[in-house]
Amino acid sequence: MWLRFRRDRTGVASAIVVIFFILVAILAPVISWLYGKDPYTLYGQDTPGLLNDFGYPIAPNGGISSQFWFGIEPNLGRDVFTQLVYGIRTSLLIALVTTILTTLIGIVIGIVAGYAGGKTDYFIGRVIDTVLSFPSVLFIIAFMPVVENLFVSADEETPVWLRAVTLVLVLTLFGWAGLARLLRGQVLTLREREFIEAARVTGASPARIVFKELLPNLWTPILIQATLLLPALVTAEAALSFLGVGMIEPIPDWGRMFRRGTEVYTNDITYLIFPGVALVIFVIAFNLLGDSVRDAFDPKLKR
Amino acid sequence: MRVRKRSAVAVLAIGVLAVTSACAEGNSGAPAASSGSSNGASAAPSAAYKPAVITLGTAEDSKGPAIPPEGVVKGGTVTMIDRDDFSHLDPAQVYVNTEGNFFRLIGRTLTGYKRVAKGEFKLVGDLATDTGTQSDGGKTWKFTLKDGVKWQDGSPITSADVKWSMERTFAPFVTQGPTYIQQWLTDVDYKKAYAGPYDGKELDAIETPDDKTIIYKFKTPHADASYAFAMAGYGIVPKAKDTKEQYDKEPFSSGPYIIKSHVVDKTMDLERNPHWDPATDPIRGAYPDKWHLEFGFEALQVTDRLMADSGADQTAFTFYGSTPPERLQQVLGDANLANRRMNSPSPYGNYYYFNLDRVKDIKIRQAINYAWPSKQIQQVLGGPAAAALPTTILNENTTVGYESYDLFGKKTKPDGDVEKAKELLAQSSNPTPTIVYAYNQTPVQEQVTVAIKSALAKAGINVVAKPLDRKTYYDSIGKLKNEFDMYWGGWGADWPSGSTVLPIIFGPVADGAPNYSHLKDPALTAEMDKITAETDIDAANTAWMALDKKIQETITPLVVAENRIATMLHGSKVGGAEIDPQMWIVQPDTIFVKP
Repeated sequence: MWLRFRRDRTGVASAIVVIFFILVAILAPVISWLYGKDPYTLYGQDTPGLLNDFGYPIAPNGGISSQFWFGIEPNLGRDVFTQLVYGIRTSLLIALVTTILTTLIGIVIGIVAGYAGGKTDYFIGRVIDTVLSFPSVLFIIAFMPVVENLFVSADEETPVWLRAVTLVLVLTLFGWAGLARLLRGQVLTLREREFIEAARVTGASPARIVFKELLPNLWTPILIQATLLLPALVTAEAALSFLGVGMIEPIPDWGRMFRRGTEVYTNDITYLIFPGVALVIFVIAFNLLGDSVRDAFDPKLKR
Repeated sequence: MRVRKRSAVAVLAIGVLAVTSACAEGNSGAPAASSGSSNGASAAPSAAYKPAVITLGTAEDSKGPAIPPEGVVKGGTVTMIDRDDFSHLDPAQVYVNTEGNFFRLIGRTLTGYKRVAKGEFKLVGDLATDTGTQSDGGKTWKFTLKDGVKWQDGSPITSADVKWSMERTFAPFVTQGPTYIQQWLTDVDYKKAYAGPYDGKELDAIETPDDKTIIYKFKTPHADASYAFAMAGYGIVPKAKDTKEQYDKEPFSSGPYIIKSHVVDKTMDLERNPHWDPATDPIRGAYPDKWHLEFGFEALQVTDRLMADSGADQTAFTFYGSTPPERLQQVLGDANLANRRMNSPSPYGNYYYFNLDRVKDIKIRQAINYAWPSKQIQQVLGGPAAAALPTTILNENTTVGYESYDLFGKKTKPDGDVEKAKELLAQSSNPTPTIVYAYNQTPVQEQVTVAIKSALAKAGINVVAKPLDRKTYYDSIGKLKNEFDMYWGGWGADWPSGSTVLPIIFGPVADGAPNYSHLKDPALTAEMDKITAETDIDAANTAWMALDKKIQETITPLVVAENRIATMLHGSKVGGAEIDPQMWIVQPDTIFVKP
């Protein structure tokens, strides 16, 4: 399988891109240290001559210079490059962890519901219905202040890790149901197929049937779901940040940068381009990678 | 007056960017208005702007017609585009500036503000022949109605109608609107003292000896009563045509126009009131023949339409659809828009209140005042074109006898005086204090908080930022037992006098009361009572201004916040459009349509 993957040039290229993004996220402090700037200092406000009276960068291309490689943020005047590097770190971490958790839970519950059938299936089915019909955004908005009141004392700020963990948990809580329902349906159809019956007749254990017979046939929907989920989560996290329950200032955030970019683009298009292009590249690479991995798993399904 | 919130609506753009367009020009082309402000000395929004001058007019000033603006042309149809329809048309329910502004088109008050020149206003008699005569040390106010003032059906406006209009504001169904005069006539809990005229009981404190004369008898002296009568909330309603709750939908006009059709939240059309006589009206020009009002347009759409200035939009303007920050640089930078542009700083007082129950050391409060990053906040809000930096509690636009002072060196060091702050902190009870700063969680306020946090940290003050939900923001900071040290709050004067600001923001300390700093000082209360009772209005105004400075000097209960500046556009064929500096809205009196 590894060999098959290596022969797929698109796959390898997108894998490199994805790994690059992950490395950037992990090494953000190192990059920032080498580059000599941090994402929190308000350079534009501390140094006159960088921003004009409206708060937009004076230099062309959003204030790009040898000092500020990607320019300066409008109004607050922070460095865009470090903001983006740290922003990718925040968003990617939350999205990756959530995707992994969501996919795992979705797989387990979906297969259990589909394979076990009967009462288990009925029960799990109703739980999935409930979760899917739950107004998740409203819940999160209502839930976050409660968490803060419970764990944070009045004269302290909410720690970053608490926000991150709550976000991951809440997003996972509402994310797994879709995948679980999809897999349940797949398993239901597979369960009655001849090869499963044959395995059962020959006395294979349920574990073997699940892992060796069912799972290989489920990789396609799982990978597609997961690769679609990750970028969706990056955007969802940004939306929550807009509603004030996600990552808030001054924690750098990719999604929030992108949203801010859409507000100021008429005067400072550069500020939209860097987070935007980064997001587009990442999402495309991740989707292509997912495709290639799936092809590698199942060579017969060549497009 | 409640401060209406202008919400900048985020524009969500979805789409893939063409990488080829990655070359963006620089933004060095700041308009001339703000040139040379990089040294930070000037906070002036634009060279042309002067704070409004409001004076008391005479009986001669109160005679009609209104002073016409330059190049006035009568006739035509003018279009007004805005976001929201008016939720109240019954004057008794009108308190919000947009509704009050609209009421000028269809209704009259006893007194009103006459535009004498740009930025110059006189309080004159509207229905009354003058601004009223006081006796009994300011407790009794007498007004005489003009001859020839009529309702839309041609019947004369009598003193009985004026009395009725005041009486009906006591009725239980009136829940909005100002409450000053009602309280002066009866009691603080005025709805208990009198239940309205609908059960046949009259209010004895208002006398009508004949059809033209009306006398108000207050319990306490009020030298500024003639200003209070100018509020749209005290507009008149005919006794014969009063339909109680229903009146809010179908008001009866005493002003220059009649509502011809009204589709709620969509459009409204006005046509001339044949019985309105311009000779009796010193305030309203009423130059267009017809008004067409359209609702449902966000500020961004309004700005884009007015910028494009195409077709029918050439005769369009907006009451309050001011340019959102995203378009500000474009609007201010375009020389072609120069003669279609208006700007005015907000007439509201905006403050970062200290919670005096928690920040007890005045040295710390003053240190924060010195270290405050006014300039940085201004930058976040969009620069000097979007926000001015006042230094006084009272707003320059809504204070007769305004005088500036600068206690904390904001004129010389608008980006904060860190040394001075450190010096004061060293003398205080805690040289490295922690301040819990609560803010209304909007994207802009988040950024402002970053600027505040970063600047105060330089002076050794640790800011703990607490985001609050925007729907319940005022409820959260209004709680007496809140756990915050600082928070933002706004208050608008109801007429140009300190008496509608200071006694309220430093008034009774209670849950939900606008005294957000919880300032309880018997000496101050006594002084405010003394000034309120002052019968000489000029002396009172001087005293309010002096008290403003004294409060900041001896108590320092707040940091004066930045003052937003509205920039609005109007169509190229609209003349006489000006922002009313008191209402912060384009007033309809001087509007005309160029052919």
